[in-house]
Amino acid sequence: MAEVRPGSQLSEAAQSELLDLCEDQFAQLEKLQNEIILCEPDSCETPQDQSVNRLMATEAELKQWLTVEPKLIAQNSEILLHAGKEEMLKLCSELEMVVSCYEAKRDKLRETKELEHKWLEEKKDMLIATSEHVNRIQMEKENLSEHSMLQDTKAKIQKMKVYQERLMESLGEILEKHVPPPQNESSTSKKKRNNALEINKDLVLLNEILEVLMNKVLNTPHDPYVTIDDTFWPPYVEMLLRYGIAVRHQENNFKIRLETFF
Amino acid sequence: MSLLKPFSKLPGLNSANILLVENEEQFQQSLADVLVEETSVAVNVRLAKSLPLPMENDESRPRIDLVVFIINLTSELSFQSAETSLKYLDPGYFLGKVCFMVTNARNASVPTEHLDAVRKLAASLHCPLLFAEDQTPDGVTSATERLLTVLKVAASLVPTTTALYLSNLTRCTLPPDIDQPSFD
Repeated sequence: MAEVRPGSQLSEAAQSELLDLCEDQFAQLEKLQNEIILCEPDSCETPQDQSVNRLMATEAELKQWLTVEPKLIAQNSEILLHAGKEEMLKLCSELEMVVSCYEAKRDKLRETKELEHKWLEEKKDMLIATSEHVNRIQMEKENLSEHSMLQDTKAKIQKMKVYQERLMESLGEILEKHVPPPQNESSTSKKKRNNALEINKDLVLLNEILEVLMNKVLNTPHDPYVTIDDTFWPPYVEMLLRYGIAVRHQENNFKIRLETFF
Repeated sequence: MSLLKPFSKLPGLNSANILLVENEEQFQQSLADVLVEETSVAVNVRLAKSLPLPMENDESRPRIDLVVFIINLTSELSFQSAETSLKYLDPGYFLGKVCFMVTNARNASVPTEHLDAVRKLAASLHCPLLFAEDQTPDGVTSATERLLTVLKVAASLVPTTTALYLSNLTRCTLPPDIDQPSFD
């Protein structure tokens, strides 16, 4: 009840006043205590009763607070100073705690803000990149007409044709350079070759053999085999087979096809 | 059967009396050790396994300002014991002089029904529900601090506030969907 403890530095008068106050308070307390004991204990067993009881008590307390008048705890200024000082110090320490709590909170919020900012920047970059991409696609779409598409495809076809031409040309060059026609060969072993050449005057070039093979593969993919006839010079056939350019039919020795390069 | 009454005795000068009720009698001892170290008021700690308190030292017992029921969530018995002990308290105690303290709430093996039951109990009695960590010294210290705050108010040591006022602000309330099945 009496919240001020008399310190040793208080004067005699203040001490006695405080003691008087305490005694008054204690006398009042004893009176109230007796009243409470004499009171009939109100029976409230169920939770509903308890809730009502609680409500009544709260209302009574509220009334009490509303009617109470603020008054000095003591007349002596010395006591007031002391009590005020004590209260101020307590308040200060409590406020300091609040400050440190809020500072910690603020730091944490700042950290979060920084993080969010970084995130925002990243998102912005992403937005810029995406919108650029969208713009580019839109532009392309606008510029794209049927005519230009046709033009595009034509150019592509042209390019492919040129490329094929070049491949053919270089193949021809290589064959011309390294694989001379069979007639020109056999200068060293003329006798033996002569015999063979005499049998077959109309031997075809390697180019032609390759052409036949390629055409056969492309035209009839289900049956790519070509029958070897007299016009195929046997060394050429042998070479093609040995270097894995052509493959012999598994059952028919006289049939070959181009190796599946693709 | 004797009811424990909040106003049957005169209060002591500048002192606060707290009663810790715990069936297991594990946490109350460590709490009491830290509670009595408080210097601003003389804190008297009484320990009990359950209520009612024995009659023989009824005369020497001071007025109890705050009754704390410590409930270990891992033990069903702990809750039942607290529930039966509640019958031996005067209704006047439930105007802000009772609080529940739950331990082991973070234990993963505890079914959620236990915690829900304790919350329902505390809410039906309009009492505050505190959670405490009993394994670490830090946990015990912080639990003690919270109890001391409530105790000082309950013992009328804080001017301009009362136990009823505080408990109206801190009482346990139930979320409206506590009986709904949770989906997590």
